[in-house]
Amino acid sequence: MSDSAPDGDRTESLLARVVAPFVDRSVAERLVISVAAILLSIVVGFALVLVSGRIAQCSTAAWTMPLTGIGFCYDPIEVYVVLFNGALGYPFAVGDPGLFNPAWTPFNLSFGLTLSETTLLIFTGLSVAVAFRAGLFNIGTQGQLVVGALSTALSVLALAPLLPAGPVAGAVLIVVGTAAGAVGGGLWGAIPGALKAYADANEVITTIMLNFVAANVAYVLVLEVFRAEGSSVVATRYVPEYAQFPSVLFPPSTDFALLALAGGIAFIGALYYFVEHTSLGYDLRTSGVQAAAAEYGGVNAKLTTVRAMTLSGALGGIGGAVWVLMSEGRWMASIPDLGFDGITVSILAGNNPIGVLPAAFLFGVLKGGALEIGFRTDVPTELVAVLRGLIILFVAMPEFFRMIGRYTGVGGTAGGPGGAASAESDASAGGDGGEADA
Amino acid sequence: MPPPAATGVKPMRNPLSPASLLEGASESGYVRSLIAGTVGMLALLGVSGLAFPDSVAGDLAGIVFSTSTATSTARLAAPIVLAGLGGIFAEKSGVINIGLEGLLIISAFVSVYAASVVGVGNAVLGVPALAIAFLAGIAASTFLSAVFAVVCIEFKADQIIAGLAVWLIALGLAPFLSTVFFGGVNTPNLGVSVGWQYSATMVVFATAGSWWLLNKTAFGKHLRAAGENPKALDTVGVSVSQVRYAGVLLSGVLSGVGGSALALSIGQFVGSGETMVQGKGFIAIVAYLFGNYNPLGTLGAGALFAGLDAIQIRLQQLGYAIPDTLVQTIPYVVVIVVLTLVGRTQIPEAAGEHYETEE
Repeated sequence: MSDSAPDGDRTESLLARVVAPFVDRSVAERLVISVAAILLSIVVGFALVLVSGRIAQCSTAAWTMPLTGIGFCYDPIEVYVVLFNGALGYPFAVGDPGLFNPAWTPFNLSFGLTLSETTLLIFTGLSVAVAFRAGLFNIGTQGQLVVGALSTALSVLALAPLLPAGPVAGAVLIVVGTAAGAVGGGLWGAIPGALKAYADANEVITTIMLNFVAANVAYVLVLEVFRAEGSSVVATRYVPEYAQFPSVLFPPSTDFALLALAGGIAFIGALYYFVEHTSLGYDLRTSGVQAAAAEYGGVNAKLTTVRAMTLSGALGGIGGAVWVLMSEGRWMASIPDLGFDGITVSILAGNNPIGVLPAAFLFGVLKGGALEIGFRTDVPTELVAVLRGLIILFVAMPEFFRMIGRYTGVGGTAGGPGGAASAESDASAGGDGGEADA
Repeated sequence: MPPPAATGVKPMRNPLSPASLLEGASESGYVRSLIAGTVGMLALLGVSGLAFPDSVAGDLAGIVFSTSTATSTARLAAPIVLAGLGGIFAEKSGVINIGLEGLLIISAFVSVYAASVVGVGNAVLGVPALAIAFLAGIAASTFLSAVFAVVCIEFKADQIIAGLAVWLIALGLAPFLSTVFFGGVNTPNLGVSVGWQYSATMVVFATAGSWWLLNKTAFGKHLRAAGENPKALDTVGVSVSQVRYAGVLLSGVLSGVGGSALALSIGQFVGSGETMVQGKGFIAIVAYLFGNYNPLGTLGAGALFAGLDAIQIRLQQLGYAIPDTLVQTIPYVVVIVVLTLVGRTQIPEAAGEHYETEE
C-alpha cells in the first residue's frame, strides 16, 4: 500500500492479497460456506444411501418412497435421525408423543462417546490447523498420533511402578504421559518439517509416507518387545486405572473425561492466542502466506517451517496421549482414523483454532452417530467416511456456493475480493483471556 | 486448427526437433542418475551374489533375479507407473492431482464389482467380463477425476485440498459400497486373475503413448503451455480450461487402468485399513517427480519402487528373522529418501494456480 508503511504492514498487505480462500474471507462467510458444505454433503449422502439401498439385497424394504411405491433396503431419513439424535443419546422423541424424550439426561452413554470423539478431534484438528496456518499440509497427524500414543503408553508404564499408587501419582503420570506424547509426536512431526525446510521435500508426500512408517514401526515394536502377556491383539499392557483421566458425571464406559475436554478447550484458547497475538505466531502466519515476503520481513522461514511442524506433531501426539489415557487405557494396533478426521475438522474450521471447537463437535456427532447407525440400521458405517470426504470437497469450493448465492439471489455472502482487505483482522472475535504461549 | 507454436511458451525445447527417444530419456540428470544407480546396484548385487552364494547377498541376488520377483514387479508397477503417467498429464496442464490414490482405489473396487456382476467367463455383447471390468474401472476413475476437474477448474478450489478430498471420498466410498454389495469391506475373490504379461504390456504401451503424446503432438505442446504459461496459450486462441480438463481426465483414464490392473491381478478388492492400494497413488507422484515429468523416467522410478515391494514380499516368504511389517516399510522409507534427494523438481510455472480467462 503506501510507501511509508513499515515492513510489517507491507508483508501484511501482501499477505492479504496472496492468501488462499481460507484466510481472507470474513468469518461470517466462512461460516455460511461451512454450513452449506455440511448440508450439501448430507444431501449427497442421502442420495447415496437411497441409491445403494435400491441396489443392495434385502428381504423386506426398510423404506418405501411415497407416491412411487418403490422399495429401498435402507431408510435414508432414519439414517440421519439415528445419526444426529443417537449421537446425543436420543433427546428428541421420534415417533413418540412430545418433542423431547423425558427420560433424557445429558450424561448418557451415547453423548459421552460423542464428546469423547470431540475431545480427541480437538487435538488432531488443532494439529492440522497450526500447520495449515504456516502454509504446510500436515497429512501426517495420524502418524504423529500413533507415535505420541506409544510414547505415552510406554513412559507411563515405565514410571508407574516407581510411584506409590494413588491420585497424586495419577496426576503426575497423566502430566508426564501427556508430555511424552507431545515429545514423541513433535519429533515425528519435525522430520517432515526439516525435510521440507532443508531438502525441499514436499510435506504432503513425506507425511503420508511417514504415516505408513509410523504405523508399521510401532506395530513391530509392540509386537516384538512391549506386547502384553497373553494378549490376543497387538497391544501394550493397560496403564494403571489411577493414571487414566477419570470419568466424572458420565458413565465410565463412555471413555470420556470432562477434564480432558476442558484441557482441549484450554489448548484451543492457548493456540488462538499463540497464532494471533504472539510474534512467533505472526512469523508462522506470514511464512505460511508468502515465504519470500516473510524472509524479507526478517523471518527465518526454514526454522519456522520446522517449528510449525514440530508444534503440529506435538498436538497430534497429545491427541495420542489422550487417546491412551482417556479412551483406550493402552496402546493398541488398530488406532482409529483420528488424524485424517483432523484434516476435515481443520478445513471445516477454516484453520482457525476457535472454529476447531464446533467443527470437532460436529465431527464427534458424526462419529458417535456412526456407532448408533451400526447398532440400529443396516447401512454400512463407512457412510461417515464418505461424508468426511464430501465435506472437505465442498468446503474447498467456496466459488460454487457463491455462484449458487448469485443465481438464487440469496447472495448475502457476496464477499468477493473486497473482503480481502480486512484479512487478518478478525482478531476482534474475542480477546480471550488466554493462557501463556503454547 | 492448432497454431504452429504457442508463441511465448518460454523455456521449452522444440518438441518437433529430431530428438531421438534415447536423447529424450537421458536429457535430464535425474533420469540419468536413476538409470546409472539402478544398473550399478543390480550389477553389484549380481557380482556379490555370484561370489558368495550362501550369504544374504546370495539370497538377495536370487530374489532380485528370479522370475517370480520380475512378475510381481510387473504386477505392482502397473498402478504406480500408470497413475504416475496420469499425474504427469494433469500437472503438466497446471492441475496438481494429489487424488491419484483415490482414483486407484475407486477403479480397483469398481472393476472387481463389474466383473462379479457380469460373472467371470460370461460376456456382454461379445466383450468378456474382464474387459468389461477394466472399462468399468476406467469409467469410475474418469468420472471421479471429472468431478475433481470441475471443482478445480470451474469452482477454483484449492487443488491440494480437492485432491485430498478425492482420496478421502474414495477411501470411504469403496469400502462402503463393498459392504453394501458384498457384506464386508473386502470383496470375495473372483477366482481369476489377469496375468502379469497384460500389466506389463499396458505399462509399456501407456509409457510409449504418453511420451509420444507429450513430446510429438500439438496437444502435448498445449498441455505444457497450459501449465507453464497459460496466458500465452490463451493469446493464441486455445482454451486453457479445455486443455486442463483434458489433462485431468487423462489422469483419470490412466489411473483407472492402473487401479483395475492392480485389483484384477489378484481378483479381489481389499478395503480394510488404507485399502489394497496402500499409498501407491502417492508413490506414483514421487515416481513422476523422480522421473522429472518424463514418462520414461516415471517408468524407471515406478519399476524401482515396485521392485522393492516385490523383493519385500519375497523376503517375507523366505522367512528372514526380520518381522514382515518392518520389511513392508522399506518402500515407504525409500520414497522419502528419494524425495529428499530429488528435492525441488521443475514444477510447471503455473501449476496449482487458477487461470482466469481474459476477454
